[in-house]
Amino acid sequence: MPIHEKHLIRPENLIEHEKLVIDGVDVSGHWSTFIAPRVVTDYNEALQDEIAALPGGENIHRCWQCGSCTNACTVNAVNPDFNPRYWIYLIRMGMESELLRDKDIIWQCVSCNKCTYACPRDVVPEGVMKATAHWLELKGHTKPSPSTVFDEVFSDQVIETGLMEESRTVRGFFAGTGQALMQDWLLAMVRAMLVHLPVKWLMHLGLTTVFQPRTKNWSRARDAIKDYVAEQQAEQRKALGLSAQEH
Amino acid sequence: MTDQVLIVGGGPAGLAAAHALASIGRKVTLVEKTELLGGAPIHSGYAKLVPSGEWASDAIGGMVKRVAQNRLIEVKLNTTVKKFAGAPGDFRATLSDGSEARAGATLLTTGFTHFDSLNKPEWGFGTFPDVVTTTQVEQMISSKQGVRCPSDGRKPKRVAILLCVGSRDRQIGREWCSKICCSVSANLAMEIREELPDCHVYVYYMDIRTFGLLETKFYWRSQEEFKVKYIKARIAEVTSNGQQLIVKGEDTLVKRPITIPFDMVVHAIGMDPNVDNMLLSSIFDVKLEPHGFIDRANTYGVMGATSRPGVFVAGAATGPETIDDSIAQGHAAAMSALGALNLAMAAE
Repeated sequence: MPIHEKHLIRPENLIEHEKLVIDGVDVSGHWSTFIAPRVVTDYNEALQDEIAALPGGENIHRCWQCGSCTNACTVNAVNPDFNPRYWIYLIRMGMESELLRDKDIIWQCVSCNKCTYACPRDVVPEGVMKATAHWLELKGHTKPSPSTVFDEVFSDQVIETGLMEESRTVRGFFAGTGQALMQDWLLAMVRAMLVHLPVKWLMHLGLTTVFQPRTKNWSRARDAIKDYVAEQQAEQRKALGLSAQEH
Repeated sequence: MTDQVLIVGGGPAGLAAAHALASIGRKVTLVEKTELLGGAPIHSGYAKLVPSGEWASDAIGGMVKRVAQNRLIEVKLNTTVKKFAGAPGDFRATLSDGSEARAGATLLTTGFTHFDSLNKPEWGFGTFPDVVTTTQVEQMISSKQGVRCPSDGRKPKRVAILLCVGSRDRQIGREWCSKICCSVSANLAMEIREELPDCHVYVYYMDIRTFGLLETKFYWRSQEEFKVKYIKARIAEVTSNGQQLIVKGEDTLVKRPITIPFDMVVHAIGMDPNVDNMLLSSIFDVKLEPHGFIDRANTYGVMGATSRPGVFVAGAATGPETIDDSIAQGHAAAMSALGALNLAMAAE
């Protein structure tokens, strides 16, 4: 049938046929547009448990949908589609397909934690957002977010060497997020510094880039931390029904 | 003149009032229309009571025993009041067994009637065997048989509890909130989760009214410890696909229609006025309030006063009431009855 107000319908629910014959009647073109039903036909009961198995998501089942988190939310003030209350509900009820519609904005949480202090039930919505973003990445629904890339570059380095070396972190972050190393702001900063000719600092930078300093006797700590991280990751992947190793 | 008191109805309010009066040496006639004392908690086979968590058979059973053993209380089972006449200090009641009971004051503790879910046919009760009422689930638990689907005895994997069945519904002339169903449903949801940890329980609600301290003990606890899920939706209809029940409605928080399969659907049935209230109203000449419960003439001055001097009312006869408040009201109305008796005696 002809549908005029198509903008009211989700694009993925609009079904159009180039050529269609029903009961011998040719209804091609204008008359062959259909709307897919938007009825929720089942709950995915695993979803809440999966989010709850990830760090930050533990208290999600407490939510009673008062909306304090969304009211308090910094990001919601800028983007009304960013709605923690709504996502918590979708997860609680297991409406996975609905949740996935918003997969590309959930990671935008800035972790200001205003929701954490507004929540009357101690759901810790900020933690739930973190867990949800994490879930989306683990399940392969989203690419690792820039903040995940940064976290990994940062923590991999600390775990490996026991130290944090800024230039390496910055380089790793830019590489991981596909950004050019020669950022305008970075060049401006370096140029401003060069005016003062910080010879000692530049030598230090050069040396650390080449030799990668380490904390003394770090290897035992490194191994223990690596084991622990591997154990945690395995547990989380298991809770999500994923294979033990990352692909 | 007589200083005896007539109590009509042997549920929690009547038992409490009878015990209170006997404990200060007053003679009581307790008239009960069925063959056993205890009222709804006993007749309907309630399991663990809200909010104490005590088994109804222990808690109310103890009250029954205390009254049955008291020599000052004459219990008349399978008996109703046919005629009632007189004034404070000198009432005469003609009973169904032909005898006459004299009383200086009278208490109506005649309780309520459970809503009959057949009056909401769209929700499948009476059509599908796995649609049951909260009362039936109470019985499954109190009988120790466990929560099972009546159709084939299987353990349900997914249960829906529909709140406000027979409450807050102008379509069926029941505009009141039955007060206790939210807490009772949360309690049952926890019982189900405890017995069947693999069974998911969903509560479909319009509002959650676990008033006062019941909030943490039932609503919060059911979510926080038992992971019961609450969905804001009034169900449109319950049908079946042959294997499971299909619950249709709108999930109002996502603004999407739902058609979800369940193994068992539980109606959280409300409290109707006692089906006998019209009769009681004419026999005792007491007014009913607009919903059909017995009207209280006075809120602040005299506890449990009806429109007729010397006749008092307590418990769910006055409107949806909890068991503990019914007991408290029974005590309060007993005190009012004593006051009325003393006045009548002094005027003598």
